[in-house]
Amino acid sequence: MTEPLLRVEDLTKEFAGRATFGDLVRRRAVPPVRAVDGISFELRAGEVLAIVGESGCGKTTTGNLLMGLLQPSSGRVMLEGSEVGALSGRGLQKLRRRVQMIFQDPYESLNPRMRVREIVAEPLRVHRVATSPEDLAARVATALTSAGLSPAEAYVDRFAFEMSGGQRQRVVIAAALALEPTLLVADEPVSMLDVSIRAEILNLLSGLAREQGIGIVMITHDLSTVAAYADRIAVMYLGRIVEHGPTRQVLSDPKHPYARALLSVVPIPDPSVRRTPVILSGETPDPSRIPPGCRFHPRCPVAFDRCPRVDPALIEVGPDHEAACLLYGDGAPADRPA
Amino acid sequence: MSVLIEATAPSTVEPRGALRSFLRHRMGVIGAAMLLIAVFVAVAAPILAPYDPYEHVRVTVFDIYQKPSAEHLLGTDDGGKDVFSSLLYGARVSLIAGFAAAAIALFIGGLVGIVAGYRGGWVGSLLMRITDFFLVIPDLALQIVLVAIIGPSLGTIIFVIGVLGWTTTARLVRSQALTVRERKYVMRARAIGAGDSHILRRHILPAVLPLMLANMVLVISLAILSESTLAFLGLGDPTVISWGQMLNFAFGRGAVTAGAWWALLPPGFAIVWVVLGTTLLGTALEDALNPRLKRHHLEAAGSDVARGRNVPTLDAPTLAMTGSSADPSPILLVRDLSIEFDTPAGPKLAVEGVSFDLNRGETLGLVGESGCGKTTTVLGVLRLLPPGGRVVSGSVWFDGEDLLGLDGPALRSFRWTRLSLVFQGAMNALNPVLTVGDQIAEAVRLHAPGTTKREAADQVAELLERVGIGRRRANEYPHTYSGGMRQRAMIALALSCDPDVIVADEPTTALDVMIQAQILELLGGIARDFGTGIIIVTHDLGVVAEVCDRVVVMYGGGVAEENQAATLFREPQHPYTQELLQSFPDLAHPDRPLRGIPGSPPRIDDMPVGCRFAPRCPHAFDRCGTERPPDYSAAGGRAACFLLDLEERES
Repeated sequence: MTEPLLRVEDLTKEFAGRATFGDLVRRRAVPPVRAVDGISFELRAGEVLAIVGESGCGKTTTGNLLMGLLQPSSGRVMLEGSEVGALSGRGLQKLRRRVQMIFQDPYESLNPRMRVREIVAEPLRVHRVATSPEDLAARVATALTSAGLSPAEAYVDRFAFEMSGGQRQRVVIAAALALEPTLLVADEPVSMLDVSIRAEILNLLSGLAREQGIGIVMITHDLSTVAAYADRIAVMYLGRIVEHGPTRQVLSDPKHPYARALLSVVPIPDPSVRRTPVILSGETPDPSRIPPGCRFHPRCPVAFDRCPRVDPALIEVGPDHEAACLLYGDGAPADRPA
Repeated sequence: MSVLIEATAPSTVEPRGALRSFLRHRMGVIGAAMLLIAVFVAVAAPILAPYDPYEHVRVTVFDIYQKPSAEHLLGTDDGGKDVFSSLLYGARVSLIAGFAAAAIALFIGGLVGIVAGYRGGWVGSLLMRITDFFLVIPDLALQIVLVAIIGPSLGTIIFVIGVLGWTTTARLVRSQALTVRERKYVMRARAIGAGDSHILRRHILPAVLPLMLANMVLVISLAILSESTLAFLGLGDPTVISWGQMLNFAFGRGAVTAGAWWALLPPGFAIVWVVLGTTLLGTALEDALNPRLKRHHLEAAGSDVARGRNVPTLDAPTLAMTGSSADPSPILLVRDLSIEFDTPAGPKLAVEGVSFDLNRGETLGLVGESGCGKTTTVLGVLRLLPPGGRVVSGSVWFDGEDLLGLDGPALRSFRWTRLSLVFQGAMNALNPVLTVGDQIAEAVRLHAPGTTKREAADQVAELLERVGIGRRRANEYPHTYSGGMRQRAMIALALSCDPDVIVADEPTTALDVMIQAQILELLGGIARDFGTGIIIVTHDLGVVAEVCDRVVVMYGGGVAEENQAATLFREPQHPYTQELLQSFPDLAHPDRPLRGIPGSPPRIDDMPVGCRFAPRCPHAFDRCGTERPPDYSAAGGRAACFLLDLEERES
């Protein structure tokens, strides 16, 4: 098997904990907040991986680690065989050409004073890619066309405010495509857009993966939007990947109780589909106070005696399908739910 | 406020908009003209002036303080020189001093501001402390001391005024640089791999320069005033003629006793002329270029219900029904509601002819894309329209009473006690300096005067338990609550007066799915257990399918379709509903390809003449482009589409 486009190995990111007044008075050491806790995955060229989880699960931190915007505390991110975190200066600069990010908010992420032409040309200028003004213009036009803004001439002279939300997000995508990246990290690419526009942007992104072989890591809280677009899904809870597998597998037969609960509460636009939602009580705990044993056990509807004591690792639960739950593998209770 | 967002100018100014908004400031244009005249006079002084004031001529005693005459338009001064010529030449010195000092001040202020704002950290703090120090020392006193020490030459004066005049610029620039630094597009540039120099050049400077331009004009006017003051006090450069110098000489050499007003008034007038001109220009520029000072263009006074509102008559049975307590009966009837907003192009209809009912204990979904008028509709119903918006026709019957006819206290008691609202941004709707318990207690006591503190506290505890917040959290402040908890607190607040109807505007939009499920379950329970009618305004068809009994689909400010939820999702009649369902992801059918709706919803200032959806409709035919479709009954509900008319005729 050839080297994958992206290989994440045991990636961990800790942030310094915030001391409370009480901590200062008692001179208590503040434990670090572990936002990402030993996650591993691979991504092949042309593949779309969705990292799904609720706020505070560490998915955005993961995205920033992939981008090299944050340094991992341990573990590594390998892009095309070179380690992202080990790079600095020139090397990091070169890496940035291959990984591009698409941000959540197309209204805020475009400079209101710049025309589309300048916005899309900006990364090319920063990296001094273009050989001539004509080359620059040609690359801008190609990027805009790839992002579905064609003919490009109709858009290059516009300002962001002269465009709709969907068009703005396309400009953001065009700016990311200008450098011909091999990996796109899309952090909630459609959550700020109207429903009628989301499908178009998601179709565009999955088309880029299919046709141009770009690997895409899509970070989102919304399982339903990625269902039709991601090849694989990784469900995160409190800094860990708790379930990971092919989209179809995970959606039709989720193994981890958290993934099951999450799936059961995604609203379905069809009142005739009646499900019994598993509504978890409470909220995701603070990452500075991760429960012992399985981190999900205090909220888990099927927790048993071993759960508060044993921290489960990801184990194979199906073809290419892993889950981190003590219900599977050795030592599971006899009456385990199938 | 979807409609407002559509129609509002971008939050940051862009160049052409700034020019347009500047030209709207008539005072600014006058100021610019005044300043231009002064500049022209200064440049053309050698041509315009009849005499050269720097030329040494022998004067006799009769030349001194000559009255204005044809020879000397403004008379002569204490040295027998032509006042008019000195005045023209004086413009040069005053303006040079003003411009040069302003340039120094802007350079220092801009540099300090950008470094302090962009770099931040201890450097930024140190720079701002220095700025604060310079801001509090009295300028004039220090200027006098410095000029006295260094010696009065034009260069010294410019230097001293410049070096002491940069503080306001520094503060202004710093705050702008600080804001821009945090912007998403700067973050995006960083992610691209851009360095500081690129970000400063491409993002920070373009945002800071327009502000500095506006500030420059004001700094110039201050500098001119300072120069005149110094010269008048005798600290001007004795070798040059400036307006302040002219005043100084005239005062010092007996113009007042000689009654030679012509030696005093013209230089005074000139100073006022230039300072007034620059101030007018500067204020207008600041207004046009500084987005924080920009007023909301929809801002307008007036009632939220138009005086000549057209009230449709309701037939007696409908009205009678609303008064009865038999379930299900409509508690709320909205009839033919139209709401307009003031836009730069005049008032435009944001909501047109919207009608719907809400039964007791029923949950109604009001769905549509942003800008379709759903929020405006409920704000109109609740009489909470922002300034510039008003109901122009229609009526809102609440339990037999026309809400739009109510005023003042009657309206206030209606809100909350009978009709309450759960806002979209729960954080903004809670007061950060009061505990959650206090805020709910406040609402309880406001509507039931006479409730004791103890009783109110008991009710608060009960309400918090009901929405799933432990009673012990009543004494905590909103910032200690998570997003989901705040939304629960908002619901507790809405429930505090036991309303008949709750309007929830995007109650779960910013929340995680699990929290969303919790909140929806809570709302569903309230409708079930207390018979409260709930209107959920949302763009999320999934949410509607989960909790709503009936759905009103809005598009372009009108109702496209209304039906029971089960029927609407199974047999959507209006092409817009069909397209919307096509574009919505459905986990129950993950293989169904999603399709977006091409184009975007119409803007309120550009509404299609015929069917509002026609430009995006895959089934549109000729009639759709010219005629507004009425409601047709279909599948047990109604839909505004001519396709249904065709079907009707065929059958």
